[in-house]
Amino acid sequence: MKLNTLTLGLLSAGMLVSNMTYATTVEYWTTQTQSDRIQTIEVMAEVFEALNPGIDVKIIAVDENDMPKQIAAAAAANTLPDMIEVGSNLSLAFAEEGIVDMDATSEVVDKIGVDRFYQGALKLIENPQAQKYVAVPYRGWVQGIWYRADWFEEAGLEPPTSWESIEKAAEYFYKPEDNQYGILVGTKADSYAEQCYTQFALSNDAGQFDRDGNLIFNSEAQAEVLDYYKTLAKYNPPGPQTWRARDYYLQGKLAMFFYSSYILDDIALAEAAASSLSSENFSDLKGASFDPDLAKNTRLATTITKTSPSTFGTLVGFSIMTNDSKEEVAATQAFIEYMNEKDQVVAYSHMAVGGHLPVLKDIAETDEFLNDPKGIFAAYGKESIKEMVAGFENIRNFSVVDGKTFPDSGEIFAKQIIPRMVYSATIEDKDTQASLDWAETQMKQITDQ
Amino acid sequence: MSPLERAEANFAWKLVLPTIAVLSLLILYPLLYNIYLSFFDVQLNGDKAFVGLGNYTKLLANPDYYSAIGTTALYLLGTVVGTTLLGLAMALLLKDPFPGRGLVNAAIMLPYVAPVISVVFGWQFLFDPISGVFNYLMVDVLHIWTERVNLIGDPDSALGVVILFDIWKHAPIAYMLILSKLVSIPRDQYEAASIDGYGPVGRFFHVTLPELHFVLATVILLRLIWNLNRFEDVYLLAPNVQTLPIFTYYQAFTGVIDQGLAAATSVIQLGVLCVFIWFYIKKVMKW
Repeated sequence: MKLNTLTLGLLSAGMLVSNMTYATTVEYWTTQTQSDRIQTIEVMAEVFEALNPGIDVKIIAVDENDMPKQIAAAAAANTLPDMIEVGSNLSLAFAEEGIVDMDATSEVVDKIGVDRFYQGALKLIENPQAQKYVAVPYRGWVQGIWYRADWFEEAGLEPPTSWESIEKAAEYFYKPEDNQYGILVGTKADSYAEQCYTQFALSNDAGQFDRDGNLIFNSEAQAEVLDYYKTLAKYNPPGPQTWRARDYYLQGKLAMFFYSSYILDDIALAEAAASSLSSENFSDLKGASFDPDLAKNTRLATTITKTSPSTFGTLVGFSIMTNDSKEEVAATQAFIEYMNEKDQVVAYSHMAVGGHLPVLKDIAETDEFLNDPKGIFAAYGKESIKEMVAGFENIRNFSVVDGKTFPDSGEIFAKQIIPRMVYSATIEDKDTQASLDWAETQMKQITDQ
Repeated sequence: MSPLERAEANFAWKLVLPTIAVLSLLILYPLLYNIYLSFFDVQLNGDKAFVGLGNYTKLLANPDYYSAIGTTALYLLGTVVGTTLLGLAMALLLKDPFPGRGLVNAAIMLPYVAPVISVVFGWQFLFDPISGVFNYLMVDVLHIWTERVNLIGDPDSALGVVILFDIWKHAPIAYMLILSKLVSIPRDQYEAASIDGYGPVGRFFHVTLPELHFVLATVILLRLIWNLNRFEDVYLLAPNVQTLPIFTYYQAFTGVIDQGLAAATSVIQLGVLCVFIWFYIKKVMKW
């Protein structure tokens, strides 16, 4: 963590101040529950308190899955926190319930500078009716196709960013007789398949709902996506496939696979990769040892384009909750602005390298951000990290259409309808239209309820 | 019945009454409540709306339900026959004492006592299509196959693997039950059969098998009951094998929990199980 002596000095000064009585308290609910991360956030908050005598920041860790329940309870008891740090879908949903102070939140976004954010990230948290933001975007991860840039270069292939280039490369590198496969897309009925599929669907503008909330899943565009996905699955390793993609890639068996940016350290650090490799037991198994050049030879294509560019990922931001006390709102705004200063953004990002990517363009390009303590980013080269973070320009998901969220989409996700459809289409060879019809019937059972 | 006998009978009822009360509370109440729930659409907040036979018709109109029944039937047939035969074979082979029998017994019991999650992962790694030892042997070392296959994942072979896994994991308990009866068969019965001119096969069919009748029936009955409800082995190893418990899980417990539908599924399953048990006890066991 990067806190210089000055800030540490201020911190100790803050300790003295902390003995005084506070006028204002900022209650901040975070979904970071690991103790080392909370400690980092606490240090940042203490520095803020030292700089702003009279404001106390109270950090409360809430499990991600409990957040909706806890917020509902707090709203009912009129004890809402001043700010929450949650995923964009939750922010939109809370805003629709009327418990997010969109004016105060938008003011902070404006103050930080609208142009400094990646535009896709802002779109995910914009309420178009009110033309306001429901959260200040803060961090996130992006998914994409990780690929062997060295193999692509040798073969003279384009990076896998369009449907054509992906299919061409998958076919080219598919050599099952050498135990090497072109790509790995999820085909087992689990959330991995859904994440892979969603990105393709959104790149062909094949959504679940239209802006009026009508179910439009069973469409011609969707059939195109499923057909294409079935084609790609032919270049998969045999049988239903899922998260083990990571292991196969580390073993040098895959040219391309889907994963989130959380995997950065696995590829770059030998100790993180060890669990995927088995050289001690099978010394003659090809590709069983750690490849120190793998990080350098790996690139991530975050955006896939067919009819429109699409990046899949998760965006987390700060929402200011409704509050009668003007002082508290002002203090909360000040704290969020402070959290968006470079030192704090960088420290926060380095808590989970690759998992907490910043959404402020200028910070994502600074050396402070790119020089993480473990040297993970450096292993990939700064340019490829910048490309990766820039995926936020086009980040999208199924449940948000023009800033409106459709909670049914979450239920469709929970019922694993899309993964089950993908499984039967790719592995059981079920007809595309029949698969879509099945999925639509299942989805209707949810939307009709 | 004499007055004394009647008094004794009454006293006996009083003695077992607490047990009956506790059992009713623990078994009868959830059972009846489950049947009650199956006629309602149950909300998570506890609200119930009466839907009559709605849950049942919804279930019976689902073609996937029948395919799950078919899969379950195959699963039951394969696993029950497999474990019983393997258990019997092992018991027959290992019934006479030999040096190191304790060690062999311990080794045989190992799959049964090992936690299911760890052995499932073991199997998944063994059969992994890319880096598993099984494919490595078949393709790279022995050259029996030209292509790598995903035996656990492939829907055509998944059911077979799941059955094999169950046989491997549960044959030890069949072995133990059968062995315990086998060693208690008096030797003079075999001697008498030998005098009557029976060879080893004849002795097996005329002495061993009749003696084992009840223990084999118990093994089969227990295995049927267990496997009709078996969830964890199948779900962890190959969730694409949709037996009835897996089907129920997807129907009722993914997403917002549909308790009414889940209750209806389990009521039907209970009915089937009761018929099974009744048929078995009355017709096969002739108890």
